[in-house]
Amino acid sequence: MDFQRLIRTLDTFWEKQGCVIVQPYDMEMGAGTFHPATFFGALGPAPSRAAYVQPSRRPADGRYGENPLRMQRYYQYQVLLKPTPDNVQQLYLESLRACGLNLDHHDIRFVQDDWESPTLGASGLGWEVWMDSLEVTQFTYFQQVGGMDLQHISCEITYGLERITMFAQGTSDVYSLAYGPNTSYGDLHLANEREGSSYNFEHADVALHQQLFTSYENDAKRLLKAQCLMPAYEQLLKCSHTFNILDARGAISQADRPRFIMRIRTLAKRCAELYLERQEGTGGVRQGAGETQKAS
Amino acid sequence: MKRYGKTSKESRAPRPLPRAPASAEMLFEIGTEELPAAYVPGLIEQLGRETAALLQSRHLTCERVLSYGTPRRLVVIVRGLATTQHNPAEEIRGPSKRAAYDKEGKPTPALQGFLRSQGGTAADIKVVSSEKGDYLYFTKRATTVPTATVLPGLLLQLIAKLRSPKSMRWDSSGVRFARPIRWLLALYDGKPLRCTFGTLTSAARTWVGGPLHPRSVKVISVGGYLKSLTHAGVIVNQEERRAAIDKVVTQIASRARGKPAIETASHGLLEEVTYLVESPAPLTGVFDQKYLALPREVLLASMAKHQRVFAIQSSSHALLPQCVAILEGTPTKPDGIRKTVERILNARLADSLMFWNDDHTRLPLEQMATALSGVTFHEQLGSMADKTQRLVALIPPLADAWQLTGEERHQLERACRLAKADLVSTMVKEFPTLQGIMGKHYAKDSGESQAVADAIEEHYLPLADRAPKTLIGSALAILDKWDTLTSYFGVGIMPTGDQDPFGLRRAAQGIVEVAWAIHRPLPIDALLEARFTLPPFAGKDSNGMRQAGDRIRQYLLERLYMFAWPPPAPSTDCIDAVLSSPCRDLIDVMDRVRSLHQMLGHPDLLKAAKVIERTRNILKGATLRQPEVDPARLQEAPERALWDLYRSNEARVIELTNKKSYADATTLFGAVFFEPLHEFFDRVLVNVKEEALQQNRLALMRAIHTLYTDRIADLSKLTIVQQQQESAR
Repeated sequence: MDFQRLIRTLDTFWEKQGCVIVQPYDMEMGAGTFHPATFFGALGPAPSRAAYVQPSRRPADGRYGENPLRMQRYYQYQVLLKPTPDNVQQLYLESLRACGLNLDHHDIRFVQDDWESPTLGASGLGWEVWMDSLEVTQFTYFQQVGGMDLQHISCEITYGLERITMFAQGTSDVYSLAYGPNTSYGDLHLANEREGSSYNFEHADVALHQQLFTSYENDAKRLLKAQCLMPAYEQLLKCSHTFNILDARGAISQADRPRFIMRIRTLAKRCAELYLERQEGTGGVRQGAGETQKAS
Repeated sequence: MKRYGKTSKESRAPRPLPRAPASAEMLFEIGTEELPAAYVPGLIEQLGRETAALLQSRHLTCERVLSYGTPRRLVVIVRGLATTQHNPAEEIRGPSKRAAYDKEGKPTPALQGFLRSQGGTAADIKVVSSEKGDYLYFTKRATTVPTATVLPGLLLQLIAKLRSPKSMRWDSSGVRFARPIRWLLALYDGKPLRCTFGTLTSAARTWVGGPLHPRSVKVISVGGYLKSLTHAGVIVNQEERRAAIDKVVTQIASRARGKPAIETASHGLLEEVTYLVESPAPLTGVFDQKYLALPREVLLASMAKHQRVFAIQSSSHALLPQCVAILEGTPTKPDGIRKTVERILNARLADSLMFWNDDHTRLPLEQMATALSGVTFHEQLGSMADKTQRLVALIPPLADAWQLTGEERHQLERACRLAKADLVSTMVKEFPTLQGIMGKHYAKDSGESQAVADAIEEHYLPLADRAPKTLIGSALAILDKWDTLTSYFGVGIMPTGDQDPFGLRRAAQGIVEVAWAIHRPLPIDALLEARFTLPPFAGKDSNGMRQAGDRIRQYLLERLYMFAWPPPAPSTDCIDAVLSSPCRDLIDVMDRVRSLHQMLGHPDLLKAAKVIERTRNILKGATLRQPEVDPARLQEAPERALWDLYRSNEARVIELTNKKSYADATTLFGAVFFEPLHEFFDRVLVNVKEEALQQNRLALMRAIHTLYTDRIADLSKLTIVQQQQESAR
């Protein structure tokens, strides 16, 4: 099963489970959790089911295309289920089977991994799912988002699409994965992986990004004051990615790191509060939860 | 713990003819999604303990309580659980007679409410007179309740009592547990019990097959339950599971003419893996020989920490390029799994080798240490480079007290300068638990002496069952912990309750342990003084620093109550007594505690204690204006005699205490003063009207009292003395 079909298979699988298949958010982000469908979808009592691919940027993880397991840009497949179905583990395993994996030929394990995103003020308890000792999925029951304890618990399933496709195709090199007709993953991404690593580690302008961070932060604050929720959240996303670039450039000292994180977290908390205030105002109807609402 | 294999035999035995059983078996299983391996042992222990406690509190007798656990289930089995709850008769106090009846002798609302709450009538009431007046008592009759009706509520309480380091919600019912609970099985005397927790209701069925092939199995007896689990390959008994894993790893190792790496147990890998699977199955793998060039600790960290696979060593203790993974259930196609496990392990080891080589380009270690200025120790306390500077500056007081040679001082200084350097190595960033260990390797590869290299490794100890073994390592371990403890206390950060984010309790405990093990002086005052002349405290308000110093001293000395003393452990009152005297050197304090404890029950100690107690009683509350005894003003014979005895024995007591002969000093002190002091109190009045006389006598009492209490202990704190005082009252 090639990469693009695997994505389609997951879309179909989760669509049948009542998920809205959302499109990737068109901004740089470190993980699918930052997508508004998850960040806002996890807040409040309103039920929410969404699934989507999210390209994920991890500037510090780039290896110039030389490591088959670490990349500065890769794809996460993200599912958010609220409330969490009782058989969520079985659903997840079923989705792997749908992708053509014979799980009886593998050692599948749920190993404790309590996930935390300090910048989003989000944390949860769950596992990393091992397939033959390789982590292929992050499985989390959110307990806190935007610094707020949750009463209504979502389950977040984050598939490492490349790794799962590697198992499905029986290959150990990400760049030789079949992506689609006559096209390998490397055809599409190897050059960018090299250039991206080079940019993140060597060329990204530190002074510019430091300045950008502050500008984005100020803009986010201004927009929050103006009750402009999604534009403010988008500025937060920019802050977060700018921070990751600075980090990859080695421009953030150990001492500065907590302060940067706190600055982003403060924005996240405010965004979450504003979102919930609005939700109360509309009697719990979802609003502004990203593309799902805007699409019509 | 009883092996359940035996019980399945029991259950096959012919059943006795039906008769009302006096006792029966209870089974309770909490089915969960995968629990964190580190939580399960604690949950199993609590399950047994809390079940026993709850049964006892409900007057339910049983023969034994067994508790088991895997990542997916927590199980408690109660054998011989009485079928009837016998609640004994009870007398319950109600309102006072005055409040219970109105003027006309009719029951007030207070009495009515009381009776309602107890389910009684006015006929069950009696009046009991006491010092506090007449009170109404309700005699609650003894009752018997079938156990089966008591258990559902009890089991719910049981779940609520189970604690884990972190708990979570998984639905909107508000219930919390370490991971989602997906089923409850409750059975008593072969019949299902019905209890509801959150959105779940218990049923007489369990689940096997893991998340991959979930299959529910009906349960009608404890024996049948255990058989079903065995049949499904689940080893529910953790001891058996651990033994099975240990055995299979050992077998595989011996096939390679080796054995499991000796660290398997001490690193906790065997323990962790025991709680990662419920149906362990082995899988062997190999890795590339070239990675054997890495230090053993690095190989083990890569293998154990990230992949939880066992390493194997040869008969000559060298690691072999092999590993054993423990899988969940026997795989149908092990070759594919093996290929991936080996590939991942090789990739991890390749990373480690890259870190190792990368770090070597940054040696010597002294060079690496220059990067420490970029590593924060704490916002208010500067960088790790600052900490390094402080460690060096703290050397003199300790080195003087330990009478270190010039060479030893030099080694200690080198070790201080290099102790933290490995924190900036790539390897330690990847494997934080290798801090100190990488420092040792990199120190050796930088041409440092063995003593320096060992000290760098040892300065993070004691940890688990490891403690520093070398002189320089012990010194560095103490200095590092001293700096940490005093720095945080100095800026006002102290452990509170169970909040201790900077590990200060462990640091203080570590100082005590290391100092005691090497048994060399620990000059508290000199070390405090040295610390407070360093940043960020140098030049700060000396009063504030003195207060911080007092808090540190007190906190450190309080560790003695928690210290794992070698037997016989001293009783608390011995520590109380010594801590009431000046404490300048930690080890001397500990020696005094030990001496005192060894003398407990000895008549010599009792004599000395009486002297201390009597002098203390007379000094208590008195105002002393005269520091020294004026011999010219000693009038009576007994006081002159006391003074002469003091003069002739003072030097000897001091000499004995200086020689740390605390038992001899105590014996001498008691022998010299006990009788004459008795005589003195019989015949001389201290608190006379003439102030000059009174002050002189008080000064004499004080001289005798402090001769002992300023050097050894305040014996009036001893329980033997306090008990005598109690009985005298």
